[in-house]
Amino acid sequence: VAGLNDDAQWIVLMGFIVSFSFFFLALVINQSTVVGQTTAESVMEFPKNDIRDVRSVMIKSAENANIDVLREDITVLSLKRKNAVANYTVIPPNPPQETHTYIDIHYNNGVTEYNENWASP
Amino acid sequence: MVKDGGQLYTIEGFAAGLIMILTAYLVVNATSVYTPGDTHISDMQLEVLGNDALNIMDVSPDHTVDKTALQTIIENDQAETFKTMFLNMTNNRTEMEPDRIWFVANYSCRNSADNSVQSYPLSTSRALAGGEHAVRVTKWVIVNKNVCGASLIPPQDRSVLVEVLMWRD
Repeated sequence: VAGLNDDAQWIVLMGFIVSFSFFFLALVINQSTVVGQTTAESVMEFPKNDIRDVRSVMIKSAENANIDVLREDITVLSLKRKNAVANYTVIPPNPPQETHTYIDIHYNNGVTEYNENWASP
Repeated sequence: MVKDGGQLYTIEGFAAGLIMILTAYLVVNATSVYTPGDTHISDMQLEVLGNDALNIMDVSPDHTVDKTALQTIIENDQAETFKTMFLNMTNNRTEMEPDRIWFVANYSCRNSADNSVQSYPLSTSRALAGGEHAVRVTKWVIVNKNVCGASLIPPQDRSVLVEVLMWRD
């Protein structure tokens, strides 16, 4: 580039800066449209309410005389209506040494897995 | 002999052109993500609202009452009570006209004879026409009732799953 008039280097530099800022602005716009979608989807797909609900019905059923039928109801309905594997085992208290009821809770809907060892207060 | 005086301008032109094409590509790509009115957000809010309403309906008013409203509704098939309670909890707003949320509620139970699952209607505020954009909320309830064709006297305690489809129009 011998003999080239280089008086306008500031203009060249500014041109680059402006184009790069457009480039990054476009990146920001590109990401912003999916923000609401991904947030709402992750709230809906994470089964927080399902887990709380199935956990509470398992705990309620532990003190019920009809526990075996209830467990079968919960397992079959979970699988067929909620697409989730849910099962639990109740370990009754064994006084005087052990006065708590323990429940082994298992839940898995293919995406989220939840296991808990619940002890009665 | 060709003059080579403008080479820097040529390079700049190419660089700027490439950046513009890339920018246009990114912008076009961004707007093609189809999110009609951000429905996901209102779906999420509707789902949370429905879950909260069902949770409250399955809480006893105090320790002297051992049946919750939802248990009584299922055991005695009180479709109108369910409708009133559920719509009160979901549609009432502060200092505004009521919301327009509609629902169809069923409950599913297990047939202990062959382990099949059947659903029975519980309550409906408007029939489902098919075009609604509904979300589904569920609640486990233990009821003392002969469900799914059982005929025991007295009835056994059974777990049923209350399923509510709700939508706003």
